[in-house]
Amino acid sequence: MSKRAYLIAGLSFATMVAGAFSVNAQLVARKDLSLSMATTIAQTAIQTCKSQGYNVSAHVLGRNGEVLVSMRGDETAPHTLENSFKKAYTSRAQRIPSGKFAENVKGNPNAGALHLTNMMPAQGALPIMIGEEVIGAIGVSGAPGGDKDEACAKTGIDKVAADLK
Amino acid sequence: MSKATLGIAGVSLVSVLALGFTATADAQLLTHKDLSLAVATTIAQGAIDACKAQGYNVSAHVVGREGQVIVALRNESAGLATYENSMKKAYTARTLRMPSGQFANNVKGNPTAGQLYLTNITPAQGALPIMVGNDTVGAIGISGAPGGDKDEACAKAGIDKVAAQLK
Repeated sequence: MSKRAYLIAGLSFATMVAGAFSVNAQLVARKDLSLSMATTIAQTAIQTCKSQGYNVSAHVLGRNGEVLVSMRGDETAPHTLENSFKKAYTSRAQRIPSGKFAENVKGNPNAGALHLTNMMPAQGALPIMIGEEVIGAIGVSGAPGGDKDEACAKTGIDKVAADLK
Repeated sequence: MSKATLGIAGVSLVSVLALGFTATADAQLLTHKDLSLAVATTIAQGAIDACKAQGYNVSAHVVGREGQVIVALRNESAGLATYENSMKKAYTARTLRMPSGQFANNVKGNPTAGQLYLTNITPAQGALPIMVGNDTVGAIGISGAPGGDKDEACAKAGIDKVAAQLK
Protein backbone atom coordinates (compact mmCIF):
# COMPACT_ATOMS: atom_id res chain seq x y z
CA MET A 1 0.00 0.00 0.00
CA SER A 2 1.08 3.57 -0.62
CA LYS A 3 1.48 5.98 2.23
CA ARG A 4 -1.70 7.59 1.09
CA ALA A 5 -3.57 4.29 1.22
CA TYR A 6 -2.31 3.66 4.74
CA LEU A 7 -3.44 7.11 5.73
CA ILE A 8 -6.92 6.57 4.36
CA ALA A 9 -7.16 3.15 5.99
CA GLY A 10 -5.98 4.65 9.26
CA LEU A 11 -8.45 7.48 9.10
CA SER A 12 -11.29 5.08 8.31
CA PHE A 13 -10.37 2.96 11.30
CA ALA A 14 -10.19 6.01 13.52
CA THR A 15 -13.59 7.12 12.30
CA MET A 16 -15.06 3.70 13.01
CA VAL A 17 -13.62 3.63 16.50
CA ALA A 18 -14.68 7.18 17.21
CA GLY A 19 -18.13 6.44 15.85
CA ALA A 20 -18.53 3.34 17.98
CA PHE A 21 -17.30 5.13 21.07
CA SER A 22 -19.45 8.18 20.63
CA VAL A 23 -22.52 5.94 20.54
CA ASN A 24 -21.47 3.86 23.54
CA ALA A 25 -20.35 6.86 25.52
CA GLN A 26 -23.69 8.63 25.42
CA LEU A 27 -25.61 8.81 28.63
CA VAL A 28 -28.83 6.88 28.97
CA ALA A 29 -31.83 9.17 28.59
CA ARG A 30 -34.68 8.20 30.89
CA LYS A 31 -37.95 9.52 32.15
CA ASP A 32 -38.80 8.94 35.77
CA LEU A 33 -41.81 9.49 37.98
CA SER A 34 -41.87 12.80 39.84
CA LEU A 35 -42.94 12.89 43.47
CA SER A 36 -46.10 14.80 42.62
CA MET A 37 -47.14 12.29 39.96
CA ALA A 38 -46.41 9.37 42.27
CA THR A 39 -48.45 11.04 45.01
CA THR A 40 -51.39 11.51 42.66
CA ILE A 41 -51.27 7.84 41.69
CA ALA A 42 -51.19 6.63 45.30
CA GLN A 43 -53.85 8.99 46.58
CA THR A 44 -56.21 8.24 43.72
CA ALA A 45 -55.90 4.51 44.32
CA ILE A 46 -56.59 4.91 48.04
CA GLN A 47 -59.55 7.21 47.42
CA THR A 48 -61.05 4.88 44.82
CA CYS A 49 -60.93 1.99 47.24
CA LYS A 50 -62.32 4.16 50.01
CA SER A 51 -65.27 5.19 47.86
CA GLN A 52 -66.00 1.47 47.48
CA GLY A 53 -65.83 1.00 51.23
CA TYR A 54 -62.33 -0.49 51.34
CA ASN A 55 -59.51 0.90 53.45
CA VAL A 56 -56.17 0.27 51.77
CA SER A 57 -52.53 1.19 52.00
CA ALA A 58 -50.45 2.00 48.93
CA HIS A 59 -46.87 2.20 47.73
CA VAL A 60 -45.55 3.79 44.57
CA LEU A 61 -42.05 2.72 43.59
CA GLY A 62 -39.67 4.16 41.07
CA ARG A 63 -37.49 2.64 38.38
CA ASN A 64 -35.10 0.96 40.81
CA GLY A 65 -37.76 -0.29 43.16
CA GLU A 66 -37.11 2.64 45.50
CA VAL A 67 -40.05 3.93 47.50
CA LEU A 68 -41.37 7.23 46.17
CA VAL A 69 -44.59 7.32 48.16
CA SER A 70 -45.75 5.19 51.05
CA MET A 71 -49.23 5.70 52.53
CA ARG A 72 -50.83 3.84 55.38
CA GLY A 73 -54.59 3.98 54.95
CA ASP A 74 -56.86 4.82 57.86
CA GLU A 75 -58.16 1.76 59.72
CA THR A 76 -56.02 -0.64 57.72
CA ALA A 77 -54.44 -3.77 59.15
CA PRO A 78 -50.75 -3.44 60.04
CA HIS A 79 -49.51 -5.75 57.31
CA THR A 80 -51.08 -3.78 54.48
CA LEU A 81 -48.24 -1.27 54.27
CA GLU A 82 -45.63 -4.02 53.89
CA ASN A 83 -47.84 -6.00 51.58
CA SER A 84 -48.49 -3.05 49.27
CA PHE A 85 -44.74 -2.49 49.09
CA LYS A 86 -43.93 -6.10 48.26
CA LYS A 87 -46.63 -6.34 45.63
CA ALA A 88 -45.36 -3.14 44.03
CA TYR A 89 -41.76 -4.33 44.15
CA THR A 90 -42.75 -7.62 42.52
CA SER A 91 -44.64 -5.81 39.81
CA ARG A 92 -41.73 -3.48 39.09
CA ALA A 93 -39.12 -6.22 39.11
CA GLN A 94 -41.11 -8.70 37.03
CA ARG A 95 -42.52 -5.98 34.80
CA ILE A 96 -45.98 -7.52 35.05
CA PRO A 97 -48.99 -7.24 37.34
CA SER A 98 -48.17 -9.02 40.60
CA GLY A 99 -51.34 -11.05 40.04
CA LYS A 100 -49.89 -12.32 36.76
CA PHE A 101 -46.75 -13.32 38.62
CA ALA A 102 -48.91 -15.15 41.17
CA GLU A 103 -50.52 -17.08 38.33
CA ASN A 104 -47.18 -17.86 36.75
CA VAL A 105 -45.78 -19.46 39.89
CA LYS A 106 -48.96 -21.22 40.93
CA GLY A 107 -48.10 -24.87 41.45
CA ASN A 108 -44.40 -24.08 41.38
CA PRO A 109 -43.36 -23.13 44.92
CA ASN A 110 -39.73 -23.69 43.98
CA ALA A 111 -39.77 -20.94 41.36
CA GLY A 112 -36.53 -19.06 41.83
CA ALA A 113 -38.21 -15.67 41.76
CA LEU A 114 -40.20 -16.55 44.89
CA HIS A 115 -36.97 -16.81 46.81
CA LEU A 116 -35.81 -13.31 46.08
CA THR A 117 -36.27 -10.62 48.69
CA ASN A 118 -39.60 -8.77 48.58
CA MET A 119 -41.17 -10.99 45.94
CA MET A 120 -44.85 -11.53 46.62
CA PRO A 121 -47.17 -13.78 44.59
CA ALA A 122 -50.31 -11.74 45.27
CA GLN A 123 -52.57 -9.66 43.09
CA GLY A 124 -52.90 -5.91 43.68
CA ALA A 125 -49.98 -4.20 41.95
CA LEU A 126 -49.42 -2.93 38.43
CA PRO A 127 -46.30 -1.75 36.64
CA ILE A 128 -46.28 1.91 35.64
CA MET A 129 -45.32 2.13 31.98
CA ILE A 130 -44.21 4.62 29.39
CA GLY A 131 -45.01 2.66 26.28
CA GLU A 132 -43.14 -0.62 26.74
CA GLU A 133 -40.83 0.74 29.40
CA VAL A 134 -41.45 0.08 33.07
CA ILE A 135 -40.60 3.13 35.17
CA GLY A 136 -42.18 2.05 38.45
CA ALA A 137 -45.14 0.31 40.00
CA ILE A 138 -48.04 0.84 42.34
CA GLY A 139 -49.07 -1.70 44.94
CA VAL A 140 -52.30 -1.70 46.94
CA SER A 141 -53.32 -3.85 49.89
CA GLY A 142 -56.35 -3.96 52.14
CA ALA A 143 -59.38 -4.57 49.93
CA PRO A 144 -61.16 -7.92 50.27
CA GLY A 145 -59.49 -9.52 47.25
CA GLY A 146 -56.44 -8.80 45.16
CA ASP A 147 -58.65 -8.10 42.16
CA LYS A 148 -60.18 -5.17 44.04
CA ASP A 149 -56.74 -3.91 45.12
CA GLU A 150 -55.64 -4.08 41.50
CA ALA A 151 -58.70 -2.23 40.24
CA CYS A 152 -57.91 0.63 42.63
CA ALA A 153 -54.26 0.59 41.55
CA LYS A 154 -55.39 0.94 37.95
CA THR A 155 -57.48 4.05 38.65
CA GLY A 156 -54.37 5.62 40.16
CA ILE A 157 -52.38 5.04 36.98
CA ASP A 158 -55.32 6.06 34.79
CA LYS A 159 -55.40 9.40 36.57
CA VAL A 160 -51.97 10.34 35.19
CA ALA A 161 -52.19 8.37 31.94
CA ALA A 162 -51.92 11.52 29.83
CA ASP A 163 -48.61 12.41 31.48
CA LEU A 164 -47.03 8.97 31.13
CA LYS A 165 -45.18 9.68 27.91
CA MET B 1 -77.03 -8.80 114.55
CA SER B 2 -80.57 -8.95 113.21
CA LYS B 3 -81.27 -10.25 109.76
CA ALA B 4 -81.94 -6.68 108.67
CA THR B 5 -78.54 -5.55 109.92
CA LEU B 6 -76.86 -8.47 108.18
CA GLY B 7 -78.73 -7.54 105.04
CA ILE B 8 -77.52 -3.94 105.19
CA ALA B 9 -73.97 -5.09 105.91
CA GLY B 10 -74.18 -7.42 102.92
CA VAL B 11 -75.38 -4.67 100.66
CA SER B 12 -72.62 -2.38 101.90
CA LEU B 13 -70.02 -5.06 101.17
CA VAL B 14 -71.36 -5.44 97.66
CA SER B 15 -71.19 -1.67 97.23
CA VAL B 16 -67.60 -1.57 98.46
CA LEU B 17 -66.63 -4.38 96.11
CA ALA B 18 -68.38 -2.65 93.25
CA LEU B 19 -66.53 0.55 94.00
CA GLY B 20 -63.33 -1.45 94.55
CA PHE B 21 -63.88 -2.47 91.00
CA THR B 22 -62.75 0.93 90.20
CA ALA B 23 -61.84 -1.96 88.08
CA THR B 24 -64.80 -0.50 86.21
CA ALA B 25 -62.70 2.61 85.69
CA ASP B 26 -59.43 0.69 85.12
CA ALA B 27 -61.09 -1.71 82.74
CA GLN B 28 -62.11 1.02 80.34
CA LEU B 29 -60.29 1.10 77.06
CA LEU B 30 -57.91 3.90 76.33
CA THR B 31 -59.33 6.67 74.24
CA HIS B 32 -57.05 8.75 72.15
CA LYS B 33 -56.91 10.63 68.91
CA ASP B 34 -54.69 9.54 66.07
CA LEU B 35 -53.53 11.10 62.83
CA SER B 36 -55.57 10.23 59.77
CA LEU B 37 -53.83 9.62 56.48
CA ALA B 38 -55.40 12.82 55.13
CA VAL B 39 -54.05 14.97 57.95
CA ALA B 40 -50.65 13.27 57.78
CA THR B 41 -50.47 13.83 54.02
CA THR B 42 -51.35 17.50 54.41
CA ILE B 43 -48.57 17.90 56.96
CA ALA B 44 -45.96 16.15 54.82
CA GLN B 45 -46.86 17.96 51.62
CA GLY B 46 -47.17 21.27 53.41
CA ALA B 47 -43.62 20.86 54.68
CA ILE B 48 -42.22 19.84 51.29
CA ASP B 49 -43.99 22.75 49.61
CA ALA B 50 -42.72 25.20 52.22
CA CYS B 51 -39.14 24.07 51.62
CA LYS B 52 -39.60 24.07 47.86
CA ALA B 53 -40.83 27.66 47.99
CA GLN B 54 -37.47 28.53 49.56
CA GLY B 55 -35.56 26.62 46.94
CA TYR B 56 -34.90 23.48 49.02
CA ASN B 57 -35.78 19.98 47.89
CA VAL B 58 -36.54 17.78 50.87
CA SER B 59 -37.95 14.37 51.69
CA ALA B 60 -40.50 13.89 54.48
CA HIS B 61 -41.86 11.26 56.82
CA VAL B 62 -44.88 11.51 59.06
CA VAL B 63 -45.03 8.80 61.70
CA GLY B 64 -47.91 7.99 64.02
CA ARG B 65 -48.34 7.23 67.69
CA GLU B 66 -46.37 3.98 67.57
CA GLY B 67 -43.68 5.43 65.36
CA GLN B 68 -45.27 3.68 62.40
CA VAL B 69 -44.88 5.33 59.02
CA ILE B 70 -48.11 6.93 57.88
CA VAL B 71 -46.73 8.92 54.95
CA ALA B 72 -43.31 8.75 53.35
CA LEU B 73 -42.40 11.01 50.44
CA ARG B 74 -39.10 10.63 48.63
CA ASN B 75 -38.06 13.73 46.76
CA GLU B 76 -35.91 12.51 43.89
CA SER B 77 -34.44 15.98 43.62
CA ALA B 78 -33.16 15.74 47.17
CA GLY B 79 -30.13 13.79 48.31
CA LEU B 80 -30.32 10.03 48.46
CA ALA B 81 -29.96 9.88 52.23
CA THR B 82 -32.79 12.33 52.87
CA TYR B 83 -35.47 9.64 52.77
CA GLU B 84 -33.90 7.57 55.54
CA ASN B 85 -32.84 10.61 57.50
CA SER B 86 -36.32 12.15 57.53
CA MET B 87 -37.68 8.87 58.92
CA LYS B 88 -35.09 8.65 61.66
CA LYS B 89 -35.54 12.26 62.68
CA ALA B 90 -39.31 11.77 62.84
CA TYR B 91 -38.95 8.58 64.85
CA THR B 92 -36.62 10.36 67.27
CA ALA B 93 -39.02 13.27 67.74
CA ARG B 94 -41.94 10.90 68.29
CA THR B 95 -40.32 8.57 70.75
CA LEU B 96 -38.50 11.23 72.76
CA ARG B 97 -41.49 13.58 72.56
CA MET B 98 -39.33 16.55 71.64
CA PRO B 99 -37.86 18.22 68.57
CA SER B 100 -35.03 16.03 67.29
CA GLY B 101 -32.87 19.17 67.41
CA GLN B 102 -33.56 19.43 71.13
CA PHE B 103 -32.40 15.83 71.53
CA ALA B 104 -29.28 16.67 69.52
CA ASN B 105 -28.57 19.51 71.95
CA ASN B 106 -29.17 17.24 74.92
CA VAL B 107 -26.64 14.62 73.85
CA LYS B 108 -24.08 17.06 72.56
CA GLY B 109 -20.79 16.21 74.23
CA ASN B 110 -22.20 12.87 75.38
CA PRO B 111 -21.60 10.43 72.53
CA THR B 112 -22.26 7.46 74.82
CA ALA B 113 -25.79 8.53 75.76
CA GLY B 114 -27.77 5.31 75.82
CA GLN B 115 -30.49 6.59 73.48
CA LEU B 116 -27.95 7.05 70.71
CA TYR B 117 -27.60 3.27 70.66
CA LEU B 118 -31.27 2.61 70.02
CA THR B 119 -32.45 1.80 66.52
CA ASN B 120 -33.53 4.77 64.40
CA ILE B 121 -32.57 7.42 66.93
CA THR B 122 -30.70 10.26 65.29
CA PRO B 123 -29.31 13.41 66.93
CA ALA B 124 -30.16 15.79 64.12
CA GLN B 125 -32.47 18.77 63.88
CA GLY B 126 -35.39 18.74 61.45
CA ALA B 127 -38.25 16.90 63.13
CA LEU B 128 -41.04 17.99 65.45
CA PRO B 129 -43.49 16.01 67.52
CA ILE B 130 -47.12 16.39 66.48
CA MET B 131 -49.14 17.19 69.58
CA VAL B 132 -52.76 17.17 70.62
CA GLY B 133 -52.49 19.16 73.82
CA ASN B 134 -49.82 17.35 75.81
CA ASP B 135 -50.28 14.08 73.94
CA THR B 136 -47.71 13.23 71.29
CA VAL B 137 -49.69 11.62 68.47
CA GLY B 138 -46.86 11.44 65.96
CA ALA B 139 -44.04 13.39 64.40
CA ILE B 140 -42.86 14.87 61.14
CA GLY B 141 -39.28 14.64 59.97
CA ILE B 142 -37.67 16.61 57.15
CA SER B 143 -34.29 16.23 55.50
CA GLY B 144 -32.65 17.92 52.55
CA ALA B 145 -32.47 21.63 53.32
CA PRO B 146 -29.04 23.14 53.96
CA GLY B 147 -29.30 23.03 57.73
CA GLY B 148 -31.48 21.27 60.26
CA ASP B 149 -32.97 24.59 61.33
CA LYS B 150 -34.38 25.03 57.83
CA ASP B 151 -35.69 21.46 57.80
CA GLU B 152 -37.39 22.13 61.11
CA ALA B 153 -38.95 25.38 59.91
CA CYS B 154 -40.53 23.49 57.01
CA ALA B 155 -41.72 20.74 59.37
CA LYS B 156 -43.39 23.42 61.46
CA ALA B 157 -45.07 24.89 58.38
CA GLY B 158 -46.54 21.45 57.71
CA ILE B 159 -47.93 21.11 61.23
CA ASP B 160 -49.25 24.66 61.18
CA LYS B 161 -51.40 23.72 58.17
CA VAL B 162 -53.47 21.40 60.31
CA ALA B 163 -53.17 23.20 63.65
CA ALA B 164 -56.93 23.70 63.80
CA GLN B 165 -57.54 19.96 63.50
CA LEU B 166 -55.04 18.93 66.17
CA LYS B 167 -57.44 18.84 69.08
